[in-house]
This record gives sequence, C-alpha cells and structure tokens, in this order.
Amino acid sequence: MIYEQPRYLPGGDRYVLIEFGNEMNLELNFKAQGLATAIEEQKTKGILETAPCFASMLIHYEPKEISFTDLQLEMGRLIDSLGPSDNIELESRLFCFPTVYLDPWTKECVADYIEKIAKKTTDPEYVAELNGLSSVEQFVRVHSGTEYWVASLGFWPGLPFMMPLDPRCMLTAPKYNPPRTWTPKGTVGMGGASTAIYPEHLPGGYQIFARTPVPIWDTNKRFPVFERSICLFQPGDRVRFVPCSVEEFNEAERQVEEGTYQYNLVEYQKFSVAQYKRWVESLDTKARF
Amino acid sequence: MLEVIKPGLETSVQDWPGRIGYWNQGFPPSGPMDSWSFRMANLLVGNAPGTASLECQFIGPTLRFQRAGVVSVTGGDMQPRLDDQPIAMWESFAVEPGQTLSLMPAKTGARAYIAVAGGIVTEPWLGSRSTFHKAGVGGMDGRAIQTGQTVPTGEGASQPGRRVREDRRPPISMDKSWTVEVVAGPNDDWIDAAGHERFLSFDWKLSAKSDRTGYRLEGPDWSFTEKALNKAPEHGQEPSNIIDQGYPCGAINLAGQTPIILVNDGPSMGGFINPYTVPQAAFWKLGQAKPGETLRFKSISVSEAQALALQLDAYYSEDSIEGGK
Repeated sequence: MIYEQPRYLPGGDRYVLIEFGNEMNLELNFKAQGLATAIEEQKTKGILETAPCFASMLIHYEPKEISFTDLQLEMGRLIDSLGPSDNIELESRLFCFPTVYLDPWTKECVADYIEKIAKKTTDPEYVAELNGLSSVEQFVRVHSGTEYWVASLGFWPGLPFMMPLDPRCMLTAPKYNPPRTWTPKGTVGMGGASTAIYPEHLPGGYQIFARTPVPIWDTNKRFPVFERSICLFQPGDRVRFVPCSVEEFNEAERQVEEGTYQYNLVEYQKFSVAQYKRWVESLDTKARF
Repeated sequence: MLEVIKPGLETSVQDWPGRIGYWNQGFPPSGPMDSWSFRMANLLVGNAPGTASLECQFIGPTLRFQRAGVVSVTGGDMQPRLDDQPIAMWESFAVEPGQTLSLMPAKTGARAYIAVAGGIVTEPWLGSRSTFHKAGVGGMDGRAIQTGQTVPTGEGASQPGRRVREDRRPPISMDKSWTVEVVAGPNDDWIDAAGHERFLSFDWKLSAKSDRTGYRLEGPDWSFTEKALNKAPEHGQEPSNIIDQGYPCGAINLAGQTPIILVNDGPSMGGFINPYTVPQAAFWKLGQAKPGETLRFKSISVSEAQALALQLDAYYSEDSIEGGK
C-alpha cells in the first residue's frame, strides 16, 4: 500500500528512514527521487546525504543543525510541495547489455553454494516455479522482455536496484538464507521484485541466473561513459538485457579488456510518467510473454 | 615521511568523518572505527581532530621516521616503544630521523591510532583519504599499508608531553564485556515483544567473522510480528526480508537469523530489516571490542543518543589536554 502520510523511522541519532509505502510501485520511487532532488535544490540545512530507494528514502543528518522533530516537519513540507508524479518528465538513458542467461558461471556458483552451504532448488528453476512459469525458457523470455528502471544505487558502489517497467514481466523471488559468500562479477540476479547486477565478485542474497561482461563501475575510468562518475548508472536510467551466447560474451569481455568495447546506450529519450501510466493502463497486466 | 618496516595486521590510513556525501552511489564513509581515540591522537599533535592518521587493528606496525616530528599513540594498549624504550600512550612525544616506533598486539581494546603532527597526506579520493579496503580505494593504493612503503606526511609543529586527561579517555573494557547503546528502529515493529526482550537481555558474542564491513553477532533466534510474517511477495519470503531500503551506518541488520552490525565500510542499501541502530556515541566501543568478547545492548531514545554525542563532541578540545607547555 501507499501510505497517506509518510512514516518517519529513526535510525540511531543521525539517520531517519522516510517510508512512503510498503509495495514495489514506481510511484513510490518517483516520490523518493523527487524528494532527494528537492533536498538538493533547496540545500536543506543539516542534511548531509540521502539514499532514495524503491519505497523509502534514508536521510543522514547532523542533529546539531536540525532536530529530529524539525527534520520531520521540514520533510513533510517538502513532500507536500512535490507536484503530482504525472508532471514528471525526465532524461532517461537506455543501456543495452549483452547477457548470457542460464550461463555456466552462475550455475557453478549455485552448485558450490548447494554443496558447501545449503540445499536448494537451482535458481532459475526455483524462480520459474514460484512465478507459475512453464519452463526456465519462459522465465528467460519474461525476464528479458522488459526495460528495467534504475530506482537507486547502493549496497556496493554503483550496484543498480532495478524494477521491470512492463508489468507483464513482474516476477518475485525470495532472498537466500543464509546469504551466498560469493557471486561472479557481472552476475544478474533478483530478490523480492528487484533485479540487480553485481559490479564485483561479492557476497549476495539474490537468486542468480545470468551474467553480463559489461563493467558498471570503474575506479580507473577507462571508458568515456565514466567521465562524470566512476559509477555507470544514475537513477532514472533504463536497462535492457539482450540475451547472447557465451561466444558473444567472451568477445565482449575481450573488448572490455582491450578497452575497445562500445557501450550500447541511447541518450535522446525522455521518460514521461503520464505516458507511461497511460500505457500500463492499456495492458492486460496478467498476461505473460 | 614514515617508512613501513612491519605493516602490522591491518594498518590503514583513515580520516574523520570520512567519505561523506556518496551514500546514494553506494560509497560508505569508512574512517576510524574508534573516532574518540582517533580524534584525541590528532589533538595531541596539534592537528585538526579529523586529520588523516593510521588505524592499527589487533597488531600494530613498526615504522621508521625519516624526519623529526611529534607523534602520538592512542586507543587500545599496543605497548608502543620508541627504539627500545617503552613510551606512554595518550601523550605526544618527539621523534628524531631514523628512530623506530613499534607497536605490539593489543593488550586491551582492538585498535590503536598513530597521529603525526602535520597529518598523513596521501591523495584524497572522493574527498577523503580514508581507506575503503573492499573496493581498493583511498589511503595507500586502496589497501592496508605494506612493508617497504613510505607514507607521506605533512608539515606540522607541536609540543611533546601533551597528555589527554584521564577522564577524557574512552573507558576501554578490561573484562571482555561491553554495554553498547542502541536506538530502536527503523524496523523495530517487525520484531515481537519476546524478540526485543531476548535482544536486550542476552550477552551477544562478537563473531570472528567480523571486519570493517560488518560485525556478526552470535546469540539466540529472533521472533517476529505479523508484519514480518504476512507481507506482499515483493519483500521476499523470509521474515527478515523487506523491500530494499537505505541502511543507516550502525544498523543492526538481520540477515535471516544472524544480526550483523553494519559499521564504517558497510553496505548502504539492501533487503533485510534493521530493528536497531547503534548511535554515533557508542561506535568507539565497537572499534575497541575484539572477536569473542560479549556485547550487551541498552536501548536509549533518539534524544538521549544525540545528547551523548554532544557530550563526547565537547571532549575534542584543548580542555581535554594537559601538559606540554
């Protein structure tokens, strides 16, 4: 649900989590992003940094400059001043990522987890079954059948938290319990209704089923796309996973190593919330690909 | 300049408050785990309290000074020696070119801090000199210092013999047990009354699987409210799963049944609940607690936590220093 009034949840003496609702709904991410932008523009005194996510936003504040109570009042005022999300039209880059689904690397990682840590159904089979899909092939079709919205970055520098823009491709999955100790760099996985790309060899908790060779962060800024930031994505970007073969993966990986890889992105489009909502309303959202 | 003869277990360049302003891209603050001892080390040698200095974890380094200067060692007791002479902690001392400072394994506490007048002047990265080991950025080449490296230091002047008043030093536990303040939230309403009672009454053991990213705690299982048990599938199916959210630094993050305190190099976001958060004023205790020691948590309010922070802030001034004139 979307709360009528946002909830202000304390995180110790210097953080507050503003929760707008408790569902995965693009509307909530617009609110979180809108508030983060408003704070930046207004330079609200005492706010050191923010971390907007799917349905909430974390604020790091300096209590010597603004009290917990004043912060809530100030944020309430700012949230009320945000116009309806229908008015939002923003620059939105679209990245296409060559991606090997049902790849050998995540298979090996899952097998290693099953052998050493805990028994479980292998990830693509598990997610397909939970979501009522007929096969892992259909799962691949559904997962790769939509653009993904970069809702926020976090957990690790540059890691994108994404949600599918096409409701016909909405899937859910539980997170690992206990978490994995390692995940191959470039792994694509999902947990809850969120999809992510692992920027590095990292521990993790998402179900994993695909891998992309394209770097999404680069401390050495070897490619022009990192000129502005060492993190590839910014919120409001979109991503499409384009299924490819292991051979294509290897070729792209070689080009990445050589520094000749061409990022596949388009930058001429705007994302209109009103148009998007009209399109979603026209769909049979129960349909699957 | 400081020449690294022996690096110690994990000695790294840190500054305070660290890399602030990049939480929305996933960069943690890093910085000293015990910022109380850290800031005092800097005050002793006439630096601004946040100046880049060395954090030594469990076993300290051996360093040779290439020029004269004023130095201090604070934090856990690593029994520092200058050449062959034991030297007092919490007190600034003069060094001559060629002299060697050596630190031992920590006798009390877990981390010691070495500050030099003028500070350490490695290249800042995203506005901070703090080392973020896991990503290999900041500090000396993004890592703990290594044998044979030379750590660059700035110009600074100070007096030897400046001491931190006894009552302004952090009371490092001598009996392997700690009482750590926590504030309930942000996700405290996912835990039932019995779960809260168990959390606040148990002596949690700090696991050896702990580092600057997170402190794992060993103890009883948690129990949950309806909110955690019956929820929309997009949260994930486990009771501790929640729609991915921002994590406060200091959050007690419940991954399945294992609580992990997210510390200075921790993740900024994720899909597990945070029933409690350690406030800033109690962070130094985490910095000085060793694996195997026990933590007992004491719940305080937001305003009590803020008052504690203000009280500590007032300590980082000349009023806490005696001697040396």
